[in-house]
Amino acid sequence: MIFINNLSYRYPNGTLALDSVDLHIRKGEFIAIAGKNGCGKSTLLRHINGLLVPCEGYVVVKGMDTSDTSHIQDIRRVAGMVFQDPESQFIGMTVEEDVAFGPENLGLPPEEIQNRVDSSLNIMGMMGQKNHTPRTLSGGQKQKVALASVLAMEPEVILFDEVTSMLDSMSRNDILLHVKQLHENKTTVVYVTHHLEELVYADRLVVMDKGRVIHDGNPRIILRQGNPLNLGIELPPVIELSRRLCDSGLITPAFFPLSVEELREVLCQLM
Amino acid sequence: MDSLFMSFVPGDSIIHRLDPRTKILGLMLASICIFYASSFEWIALIALVFVILILVCKLPLKHFVHSARPMILFFVILFLMQLLFTEGKPIFSSKWITISYEGLVLGTILTLRFIFLLLFAALLTTTTSPSKITAGIEKFLRPLPLKYMGISSHDLAMMMSMSIYFVPMMYDNFRNLKDAQLSRGLNIKKDPVKAIIALSVPLVSISVRAAEDVALAIESRCYKSTGRTSVHMMGLKKNDYICLFLYILLILFCIAY
Ligand SMILES: Nc1ncnc2c1ncn2[C@@H]1O[C@H](COP(=O)(O)OP(=O)(O)O)[C@@H](O)[C@H]1O
Ligand SMILES: [Mg+2]
Repeated sequence: MIFINNLSYRYPNGTLALDSVDLHIRKGEFIAIAGKNGCGKSTLLRHINGLLVPCEGYVVVKGMDTSDTSHIQDIRRVAGMVFQDPESQFIGMTVEEDVAFGPENLGLPPEEIQNRVDSSLNIMGMMGQKNHTPRTLSGGQKQKVALASVLAMEPEVILFDEVTSMLDSMSRNDILLHVKQLHENKTTVVYVTHHLEELVYADRLVVMDKGRVIHDGNPRIILRQGNPLNLGIELPPVIELSRRLCDSGLITPAFFPLSVEELREVLCQLM
Repeated sequence: MDSLFMSFVPGDSIIHRLDPRTKILGLMLASICIFYASSFEWIALIALVFVILILVCKLPLKHFVHSARPMILFFVILFLMQLLFTEGKPIFSSKWITISYEGLVLGTILTLRFIFLLLFAALLTTTTSPSKITAGIEKFLRPLPLKYMGISSHDLAMMMSMSIYFVPMMYDNFRNLKDAQLSRGLNIKKDPVKAIIALSVPLVSISVRAAEDVALAIESRCYKSTGRTSVHMMGLKKNDYICLFLYILLILFCIAY
């Protein structure tokens, strides 16, 4: 689905943000990307969305090279993106108009746009806020609208750039459940996150550091076996606890628990 | 706060449902009439039309008064200029100033004109969402030979709607920033110059960042300047034709008068 080959990118001011990244994202995968602030996660996503073009190497999305500008609209249509800041990704004055913006750009007829707007808002449970101003919504609601706006373009891949980092834990779980549901409905998910508890639904974890990929594999194996200092990311208390319980041989689960809920289940079975 | 200057209030009145083009034309006609209104009778007639329109669109008068409030200083200055600098029959005179009857009349009429101009504009913006306004403007611009000048009517309309969108956003940013700086001991009264710098410098950088972010969001959602469509099905309906008919009557009446 997405081939990233020997990708390097240097911002005009000289910062080397990506350093020979190789990544192959398969159709239907739920891939999580983690890493310290400034390690290049957003830069990588912007390449997949065609917002940035490689300085070196290439990115191919569904057979289309992102540096070929004639395909750029098709690439963005295949790979939609939800941004970190819920504030500054709204274009419409009302929720409905914002969701309609993408389909309007695709040049669809008004009835079709209306159908897509309604169905995406329904999926995200935001139909009741259709005529509200996005500015007046809560952070979680804003991100749901942002996600609905991307859904309305009917993308095959959705790129999430730390979408929950400005949300409280309730809205974070809510968004995550929606992401999981989209994945179950065959959407390929690329999910950048700081919160490793959110990896419970991911098939694969990529850890980045200083513009390079340093780990790529099953999240449960990486978090169980990887050296936390090497991961370059802070482990949440649950995962730290799971690791210690495993290390001391108290639990030997079939799969390594990543969330409070999973750890609880493992412990329940033990008792 | 949503009774911010000229903000849109969703609703379902006849005026809300009119085609944006009808309303834009109406505003143009109203502006022309207002500029030719040179007597109190005319102003009264315009006021009457405005009141009827407000009743029809079922919005509280308060909202419109609010939207005119930021301009009060401008109105006062306008009024005083006319009042003090118009020659004529004096009705009050002292060593420093002379107020003439003509000045009073002229000042009042001119100020009322500007107030009604603003109120009619507010009537358009409160009953029409900005994207419908821009869609309407875009339709008006389309026949112009803009594309030979390298400008697309969609780009122009997009720019307009983004600037409308940015005003409340900047205002929010400004308020947050002011709170942040006040809580860090900024004293606006004591040191206004420092306060202006402390507020404006970060506001500019915040705005630049916000603009960059929005630009990314626009690009990532496939914005293109040609071949766009609009979710708003534009089409003239019965009420639009009635309005257009009234406009023509109005124009004929004005020409004949
Ligand atoms: N627009 C930009 N101009 C210059 N440097 C940038 C820009 N955006 C990001 N960078 C730099 O590129 C590096 C990677 O940034 P980014 O991809 O945003 O990291 P992450 O999303 O993982 O926090 C950082 O060192 C950052 O300072
Ligand atoms: Mg980032």
